[in-house]
Amino acid sequence: MDTLIGQGLVALEMIVDPGSFARDRVGAKEFTDESYGPGAVVGTATLDGQTVTVIASDAEAFNEKFPVVYAGIIGMEEGYKMASAVYATLAADRDAPASAKRPIVLIVDTPGNGPGKVEEIFGMNKATGAYQLALAEARAAGHPIVAAVIGRAISGAFLCHGLQADRIVALDAKFGTMIHVMPLTSVSRIIKKNIEVLEELSKSNPVFAAGPQFFHKLGGVEEVVPEIADLRSVVIRQVAALRVAKAKGEATGPVGRAVLGAARGGRVTRPQVAAKMAAEFAAVADKYRPQSA
Amino acid sequence: MALNTLEFECKAEAASVRLAAPVHYGVVGSGDLEVILEPRDLEGAVTVKITTPVAGFDAVWRKVLETFVNRAKLADVAIDINDNNASPAVVSMRLQQAFAETAA
Amino acid sequence: MANWSKLQTRSFLESSARDRAIGLVDEGTFTELAGPFDRMSSPHLVALGEAVEFDDGVVTGVGRIGKRPVFVISQEGRFIGGAVGEVGGAKMVTTIDLAIGFADELRAANPKIAPDELPLVAISFETGGVRLHESNAGLLAHAEVMDAFQRARGKVPVVALIGSRIGCFGGMGFVAAATDVIVMSEFGRLGLTGPEVIEEEMGKDEFDASNRALVYRTTGGRHKYIMGDCNFLVDDRIAAFRGQVTELCKLPVGDFEQFRRIGSAALVEKQMRAVALAAEMQPKDAYDVWRRAGNNDPAGLGDAPVDDFRKQAQRLSV
Repeated sequence: MDTLIGQGLVALEMIVDPGSFARDRVGAKEFTDESYGPGAVVGTATLDGQTVTVIASDAEAFNEKFPVVYAGIIGMEEGYKMASAVYATLAADRDAPASAKRPIVLIVDTPGNGPGKVEEIFGMNKATGAYQLALAEARAAGHPIVAAVIGRAISGAFLCHGLQADRIVALDAKFGTMIHVMPLTSVSRIIKKNIEVLEELSKSNPVFAAGPQFFHKLGGVEEVVPEIADLRSVVIRQVAALRVAKAKGEATGPVGRAVLGAARGGRVTRPQVAAKMAAEFAAVADKYRPQSA
Repeated sequence: MALNTLEFECKAEAASVRLAAPVHYGVVGSGDLEVILEPRDLEGAVTVKITTPVAGFDAVWRKVLETFVNRAKLADVAIDINDNNASPAVVSMRLQQAFAETAA
Repeated sequence: MANWSKLQTRSFLESSARDRAIGLVDEGTFTELAGPFDRMSSPHLVALGEAVEFDDGVVTGVGRIGKRPVFVISQEGRFIGGAVGEVGGAKMVTTIDLAIGFADELRAANPKIAPDELPLVAISFETGGVRLHESNAGLLAHAEVMDAFQRARGKVPVVALIGSRIGCFGGMGFVAAATDVIVMSEFGRLGLTGPEVIEEEMGKDEFDASNRALVYRTTGGRHKYIMGDCNFLVDDRIAAFRGQVTELCKLPVGDFEQFRRIGSAALVEKQMRAVALAAEMQPKDAYDVWRRAGNNDPAGLGDAPVDDFRKQAQRLSV
């Protein structure tokens, strides 16, 4: 097997405990309408014995109602279905202490969000926004969220399904893993820069080139997984590590990746900007306090 | 491929106008620029720094800036420009607008 | 600096990011943070030989409306289409973080502090999303802003203002959707996929990107108002946006949940009902949905003066 692209469900079965995946059921919620958001697969499994919610894309599904949805694209129904699965996860563990909230595993192989006219008329941006907010809420509530990029993690679809996780692991580029906003050839065309020049520049600056290794350097991916066979053990290890990190209050998720980006030397300007602004605000903050106080 | 930086110094013939406070003006749109004028102790001189993707117009930049500095009689000012292909006429106009802001 | 009173009468559409920021808050109260004099421009554009801007195309700062500290983020569309890179993204995130931190600090100092003395964040969007010259860093910044919004929930209200040339698209389209309140003018546009990309995907017969009227009625302020995707439709003047934000400034943070379109299980259920309607209707045009919402003469309504539009428009309920 030299790639998992288009095989999110295969990857899912490889990662969770064998035969444990129960599709369309998360906590008390059942997703009974099979035709609803078929591009999104949600359900419950066990991972090393722990109950986990799993969310993936099905590259083989085609949404009859919204024909722009195929090949793993996240459409409006898919976005809201994924968001519902997260809210159902939150509800299922509402009374559990933060340390016992069930993990959420995101299997990431999606080429984009629904790009159609009906989607714009009804607001595709809300569907993906809704899913991101749900994940951010679950992460803050204590659920360990691990995204495993096993194929395509493209632009807005990666923002939607992946970048709100606590930690992101990605299969090595040799398995065809794609993480980018746009391929370098398209970037080259749009910003009118010679492709050879861009390729040369990307050796020293990971900020625009496509691929998991560049996102790793930027702190956008915590770990690159060297072999497909390692996926399961890496996800299990990351969940365990997250339990510890979250209990200690360590930064995870987008904030954690910003810290990592600086530590790995990929995004060093970001903390400088933040520090400058904090210092400047501190100098004037008194002007903005309640005057009566 | 890096951005070009052009730096030089000039002195107005009747240098007498100093700035009370720094000023920023403009947006780096296509064919446009932004400029910062800052008071600085330069023994009456004016320093200019231009950052631009366009190379090879050093003499034009120098002429436009010297004309501006002379007309405004500027002294002890550091001028800092971010350019994106602005024509000399636009450069001239933005400099004057920035200068007008200092009086406002 | 532009005269504040003059700014009030100015078209929001025509105004620069800085003028929008200054004019939004009370006269003389705006302090810019990481402003042009700090010269925090993008190192990545320098490496590519592209023109830079001292503020990286985002104006950030703090001002006041009445007693309320208002943290402002204002994007400049004339600089690379308002696209977000590492520096601009960091400025956005840090502004929200400072607002959250200040809210925490003020509440800790005085648990009985009046709701209208606590911070609010206002974001004037003008962007197509990620800046391709530094796309990876821009994408990661989007995720940080989204996360900051969720952290701000219940602490600091976040208000989106959309009425500038570029509109608000791409990843920033999700980001705007995730704010508490959206205020638009009829010239504002909000969506995910820009018109050119839809045309490329669907063909010119389905969607002609050069048809401005079609583009506006698909993603423009009037349509978004009918859909409930924008909460308030205001005139195209800085004073009008400021007036709406001033009204919102009177509300305690808890009251902002009522304006949200997404952000809870119940709201997702409601949006799912809207999507079911989309599936059932398969609208060819936004006007089909206007009609469904109870507007019998969509074209007439679309052409009516905005004042009349606000009075007459029936909004979609699902």
